[in-house]
Amino acid sequence: MAILIDQKSRALVQGITGKIGAYQTQLMVEYGTNVVAGVTPGKGGQSTAGVPVFDTVAQAVEKTHPDVSICFVPGPYACDAVIEAIECELKLVVAVAEAVPLADAVRMLSYASQQGAYVLGPDTSGLISPGKCKLGVQPHRLFSEGHVGIVSRSGALSYETAKMLTRNGLGQSTVIGLGGGPVWGFTYRDALELFRKDNDTQAVALLGEIGGHIEEEAAEYIKMGYPKPVVALVVGRSAPPGQKMGHAGAIIQQGKGSAQDKIQKFSEAGALIASSPKEIPAILKKEIRNQPQQNRL
Amino acid sequence: MRLYEFQAKLIFRDHGIRIPKGLIAKTREEAVDAADRIGLPVAIKAQVLSGGRGLAGGIKIVNSRKDVPSVASLILETNVKSEKPLTLLIEEKVEIAKELYCAVTWDYPRKCPVLIASSSGGMDIEAIARDRPTEVVTLPIDPYLGYGQYIGRQLAARIGLQGKEVVTFSDIVNKLWNVFSQHDAELVEINPLGLLGNGDLVAVDAKLILDDKSLFRQNEIINQINVLPNAEKEGLAYRRLRAKELGIPTYIEMEGEIGVLSDGAGTGMLTLDLISDLGGKIRVYCEMGGEATPELMEKTLMTMAKAGNVRVVLVSLIGGLNRMDEMAEGIVRYMNHQKSRPQVVVRMAGTQEDEGMKILSENSVAHYNDLYEAVQATMNVKS
Repeated sequence: MAILIDQKSRALVQGITGKIGAYQTQLMVEYGTNVVAGVTPGKGGQSTAGVPVFDTVAQAVEKTHPDVSICFVPGPYACDAVIEAIECELKLVVAVAEAVPLADAVRMLSYASQQGAYVLGPDTSGLISPGKCKLGVQPHRLFSEGHVGIVSRSGALSYETAKMLTRNGLGQSTVIGLGGGPVWGFTYRDALELFRKDNDTQAVALLGEIGGHIEEEAAEYIKMGYPKPVVALVVGRSAPPGQKMGHAGAIIQQGKGSAQDKIQKFSEAGALIASSPKEIPAILKKEIRNQPQQNRL
Repeated sequence: MRLYEFQAKLIFRDHGIRIPKGLIAKTREEAVDAADRIGLPVAIKAQVLSGGRGLAGGIKIVNSRKDVPSVASLILETNVKSEKPLTLLIEEKVEIAKELYCAVTWDYPRKCPVLIASSSGGMDIEAIARDRPTEVVTLPIDPYLGYGQYIGRQLAARIGLQGKEVVTFSDIVNKLWNVFSQHDAELVEINPLGLLGNGDLVAVDAKLILDDKSLFRQNEIINQINVLPNAEKEGLAYRRLRAKELGIPTYIEMEGEIGVLSDGAGTGMLTLDLISDLGGKIRVYCEMGGEATPELMEKTLMTMAKAGNVRVVLVSLIGGLNRMDEMAEGIVRYMNHQKSRPQVVVRMAGTQEDEGMKILSENSVAHYNDLYEAVQATMNVKS
């Protein structure tokens, strides 16, 4: 098992014929992801990386029955494409585009929550269940199959952490990128709820950053009692206030959202604290020694 | 993107919001001329993007003509959080009976727009909300139902206005909503919103922050702003503008001596934290995002070198979307074209890392696959 995606997932790629869409589809197919269809309006009938292309999501759904979608449609058109996928009853849409207008992001995310669909992003690296399915743009060589769940706003930080875990013999169940914010569809809390029920996941690495509210929300959730060890890392300890540090949501405003505050909230909630990815494998290994035999990684 | 007060006011005016009579001045002579045309007394206001302008001495009321040049010079030399004003706004001083507050922004956790109003304007709204929470009213807007004029009237009534004042205030809310929704704003704010003796409302100050990711569909406003004087050919404002033109999403200057260039926000911040833990200080930080090309890499490195006082640049890459062979190509191009430059240390991992590191080796560029080793190597570089 893993969460959200596994070897049974049937993937749709929206924007499959663009430069990034085509290249990343090739990599996903090579990894073993079952990409059943692609969509690019005006390119219906063609194929990319051996995948049939349709003009609309509705046609692709009717002919190939995908259950998840990854959307490479660029920012200005991403909202339309994501809503199209949700309307066609796809239950998980990964919105990769970095530059989605805020008003569009709010619109598509509120539609998703109304319809009970998960949207990862926008501005996300996607997700990967190593060895099973990749629905994203991760450098997959850094990942390995195992029992640590990773959830991170930043894609790059999740790669860094997966690399450290892999190097230390700790594989991952599912690794999720939430996106740059300042609004998110799928959140840390959603990930924690799913990892809680997943038999394959025995510990969670939660990688946070400055700004926004979703780390605080996750800390509240952990505080109510979480059955698996959670190690939390918050980057941006040295970030100056009032500056967007690369992600639209990574900004300390009016003294709120600092790394120190978030770390304190995680600590009070009972999470283990790491100050950089390098510390995470050792912390998790120590936790394992303290766990009953049957729960060991 | 935050606009200067005078730019925001012109846009507010275009939407029918009343603003005080005002003119722009860049020198003390222009300030005198502007004051003559407006008529004394006037307010002289530093045009800066940093908050806390009033406290830093960036706003002064001048009653007599002979004081205009000295006050103008003084304000032009005033630093507001290390930002020096390039322009002044010379404005008629309006007689205000009462100061109100009105804004539209986003409620990110609830994923909807929100209206904020208060009958106690003039000071920081966060401070009012903290000290007198009952005096700040917020109304969320359903993203599907959208805004309706009745919501503006509700807001007016909720802050204690009555009769004709409700109509006048809600009219401003309608117009502010139009600015917010038509121009893809992150925030529109009038603080204070001046209530005059005759019942009219005037935007005494104006704040407008546009959503950076929507600028592509705000060409009209961008062109309007660009024809106005706002940046010179040097200094931080110019370098920021230049970075924006080149398509570098994040350009931040600080007081140290180390440059960091990353291709991911999370690992960028991590790199800054690790350097800071070892006692290093950052001069300039850039983040390129996931759609970087060799050209963008080369130009970003060139832009960073121009910040000055950079001892060493750490290029911190762990690419998913970005291909390391392409990034290496951009780094090598920069090294070949730029004769005198800061030393460069590269951390390279991710998509096509073997090909990328091969290119760096062939061109004798210092590189590491491990972030911690790269940070240590950066710290070891002596000037």
